[in-house]
Amino acid sequence: MGNITRRSFLIGGSALAVSAWMVPPVWGAPKTIKIGGLYPLTGNLASTGLDCRRGAELAVEIINGKYDLNLPLAKTEGLPNLGGAKIEMVWADTKGEPKNGQAEAERVVTQDGVVGVIGAYQSSVTKTASQATERLGIPYVCSDSSSPTLTERGLKYFFRVSPHDGIFAHDQFNFLKDLERVKKQKVQTVALLYENTEFGSNVGKQEQKYAQEYGYKAVEDISYTANATDVTSEVGRLIKANPDVLMHASYITDAILFTKTFKEMGFNPKGMLTMAGYIEPGYLPAVKADGDYFIVRSTFALDLAKSKPLVGKVNELFKKKFGIDMSENAARSFTAPFVFADAINRAKTTEAEAVVKALLETSIPGDQVIYPWKGVKFDPQSHQNIYATGTLVQVQNQQYVTVWPFESAAKDLVWPFPAWKSRK
Amino acid sequence: MRTPTRRQISVFAFVLVLLLLYPLFVKGSFPLHVMIMVFLFAMLGVAWNIMGGYAGMFSFGQAAFFGIGAYTSSYLLTTYHVSPWIGLLAGGVLAALAAAAIGIPCSNLRGHYFAIASIAFAEIVRIHFNNWKLVGAAEGLTLPILGQSFRNFEFHSSKVPYYYILLGFLILSLLVCTWVSTSRMGFYFRALKESHDLAKVVGINFVRYRLAAIMISAFLTAMAGTFYAQYILYLDPDSVLILPISVQVVLVAMLGGAGSIMGPVIGAAILLPISEGTRVWLGPKGTGIDMVVYGTLIMLISAYHPQGVWGLFSRIGRGKA
Amino acid sequence: MGGGVLQQVVNSLLIGSVYSLVAIGLTLIWGVMNIINFAHGDFLMVGMFIAFWFYTLLHLDPVFSIPICAAVLFILGGLIYRFIVSKVMGGPLLAQLVVTFGVSIFLANLAVMLWTPDFRLIEKPLLSGTWSLGTVQLSIPKFAASLGSVLVSAGVFLFLKRTKTGKAILAVEMNRESALLIGINTDRINALSFGIGSALVGIAGAFLAMYYYIYPQVGGLFGLISFCIVALGGFGSIEGAFIAGILIGFVQTLGGYYFDPAYKYALVFLVYLITVWIRPQGLLGW
Repeated sequence: MGNITRRSFLIGGSALAVSAWMVPPVWGAPKTIKIGGLYPLTGNLASTGLDCRRGAELAVEIINGKYDLNLPLAKTEGLPNLGGAKIEMVWADTKGEPKNGQAEAERVVTQDGVVGVIGAYQSSVTKTASQATERLGIPYVCSDSSSPTLTERGLKYFFRVSPHDGIFAHDQFNFLKDLERVKKQKVQTVALLYENTEFGSNVGKQEQKYAQEYGYKAVEDISYTANATDVTSEVGRLIKANPDVLMHASYITDAILFTKTFKEMGFNPKGMLTMAGYIEPGYLPAVKADGDYFIVRSTFALDLAKSKPLVGKVNELFKKKFGIDMSENAARSFTAPFVFADAINRAKTTEAEAVVKALLETSIPGDQVIYPWKGVKFDPQSHQNIYATGTLVQVQNQQYVTVWPFESAAKDLVWPFPAWKSRK
Repeated sequence: MRTPTRRQISVFAFVLVLLLLYPLFVKGSFPLHVMIMVFLFAMLGVAWNIMGGYAGMFSFGQAAFFGIGAYTSSYLLTTYHVSPWIGLLAGGVLAALAAAAIGIPCSNLRGHYFAIASIAFAEIVRIHFNNWKLVGAAEGLTLPILGQSFRNFEFHSSKVPYYYILLGFLILSLLVCTWVSTSRMGFYFRALKESHDLAKVVGINFVRYRLAAIMISAFLTAMAGTFYAQYILYLDPDSVLILPISVQVVLVAMLGGAGSIMGPVIGAAILLPISEGTRVWLGPKGTGIDMVVYGTLIMLISAYHPQGVWGLFSRIGRGKA
Repeated sequence: MGGGVLQQVVNSLLIGSVYSLVAIGLTLIWGVMNIINFAHGDFLMVGMFIAFWFYTLLHLDPVFSIPICAAVLFILGGLIYRFIVSKVMGGPLLAQLVVTFGVSIFLANLAVMLWTPDFRLIEKPLLSGTWSLGTVQLSIPKFAASLGSVLVSAGVFLFLKRTKTGKAILAVEMNRESALLIGINTDRINALSFGIGSALVGIAGAFLAMYYYIYPQVGGLFGLISFCIVALGGFGSIEGAFIAGILIGFVQTLGGYYFDPAYKYALVFLVYLITVWIRPQGLLGW
């Protein structure tokens, strides 16, 4: 008899405890605001995922603490309109696979109760993750995936802060036009070289479009496997086509391999315009001086600090916390938490519909972002930040220096690309 | 595996009832997702078993059929608004034809050569789809978000219908596998599995049966592919046509016990929760330890207990082995 | 400038001989034990990392790491044989196929755990740079690897044909049962072959590390191509692996140059499939 009563008491008691724990408190403002961060934390792109995560972590620290910086919500602790509630990141590992993007987005929303999601670096993973959040009615702010298709889906809950590859491709051609106009250097032919996953092929498509629009002849158009064992055929074709300018969209492995092969086979166009892989933190340490004079599209460069001291201050904080300079990936992921916090603060609630409305009304001024943008403002239809632009940096003495737009250039552009044989 | 004993059938029925009731008690989206992944790879493993465990053709290229199924139904849906259920059948048929096309020339290849040929075949398919503009090349295909219904094969507010549909597919695959195993075809396979020469001597039209096995296996694998597409609503070559998927299918079947009907189910029930679980709990630390454990497990099982887990179970139903 | 057909022919020979060097160890193992080592690419990766760490920590150029890589991989191969592979010899075929996949997953992810997924490069190896010979640019490290490939192939060939141990290995390759009958300790031959095969791919790793980037998953594509080369050349045949490697080098390079670089590996796999359909035992196999 005693056993049964005690047992039933234990069972009943634990059931009560468990259910009390599961029921969310319905009174008072939330003390923490949970945001999900989806990144490839293991797998091939783990170092990039870690990079992105660091950027977001620093952002959250600034929001939650009191910092004398001209960034949204930096000067207050937490979100003032929600009683000082702080942001808590819930990290999820996507391993770089789209199916995990979906699973993890669902998990952090339904199990951890996040009210918003950021991430996920790879556009294919962001695609499925944001589809999941759309189905669940949760806002998603992306500041590190560059496929144009992400903001062409007509989603209601998805917002993108950073530039996309269409913008970057457009930049490249604007640069060529500027080159002719300002520096009097004429370019007639281009060669398009891109790795064959979604990122590269999208860039290729955009470049084909703009080449035609702007009247440049694409004398070669090569799609290749990113992790090739050897790229001498590809470079052989490029040499044969003899373009004025090469446009290369790559990841880091192919950036390294191609750089070495360009040197080995003596490929010397007048200019090398590249994307992504060439600005990964591992590229210059690997190729050293061979990386000089490559021009890379960028959202962020450390030398922006000259015209925007905020950049320098943020980098100092980053360096103190992590021991290295901010990379482009970290810088991009740095923004999403601010956009979210700013919107939630204005909405005065974490309720999804109100947050989405607040996001649509976002108007962060240019001096409060660490990029050369006019600020953050979303297009009402596509939810793309209309002020997101890129710049071009060039590697000089193994450092990235901003060379375009010419008005905000930190150093002069080196053009044409110095021939391999003529270098030390 | 001979015809199941009564005891094994009752265990199976009991487990089936549990699985049917599971979504009524477990509501979380993640636990449902894990079960769906278990069912998916169980189905793929069962399909593999038909050509591998039974007919001795160890394919390491099942991803090709998985992808063909997923792409066929998705392409028909996005371009011609064909119902995914019809697309399912179309994908199955195409995959079966592809299997026949590769199976005929490869029917003489022995164990290792066949395995490598299957990898080569799957890689060719992957590379082609990655460059084929018609199906979106590297960008893949995004399925339209339609109103949720059985007819549309899409569900948004809950995973439960996906769960039951896939469970249905899995049961169908198990029935097909049982039929293969207990039919004349299965008898011939068991008797002549590793002896091609003997087959020639006996003069059975072995090639025909092997071809049938490959085609059935491909059909079921493609069905799973269509399910995947309707579940995730997005696919690209790197999500459905890659070698790790093919390898995982073989591992699931082997761990559970190749050549037994329920083997792959058990294998999936063990491997998939480990895979999902380690990603969720160990993943965010980013060290890859989950895969090290995974690899160790595979080495140990293959080296020290290759008949898989089922080897242990099948003794239960029969008393002492 | 390195354009033109002649350059591509030279490149074909160079990458082809690198492939041969990578594949030669695999064909030995396969011939003797009838086992495909699916972890072959990962052994290559280990060899590359060894060369890298000796360079970074001890400033030892990869050229001098060659014997070290060979020795370490010999031991690694021996251990893996003794504790893992030997257990599946004589077991079900499926277990034999799967076990080395397990080794592959284990090694690649252990490397991730120990050394992170980052990409490494040996910056200033002794053998680096390019020779200009007329219109042809000859990559020095690749050329060294080609020489290495020829020397190693010749060396292994002579070892097998001229030494007592080598002949014992050949005997086991040809007919296991008969070899047992005449008193050859087949288990010891297995272990030795696995060790030697691993040592050979370790040497390949040292050469490759002179110009290619190093990271845990680097073995993937090289491994896949090695399987095709070995099967193409005929398992067990050293000459076959050498020729097949060069052939694949041509298919890949010229295919990429004239046809479409996006499909160059598909062409490699296609050539493999076609050859194996027509002649299942490979070009020079029996």
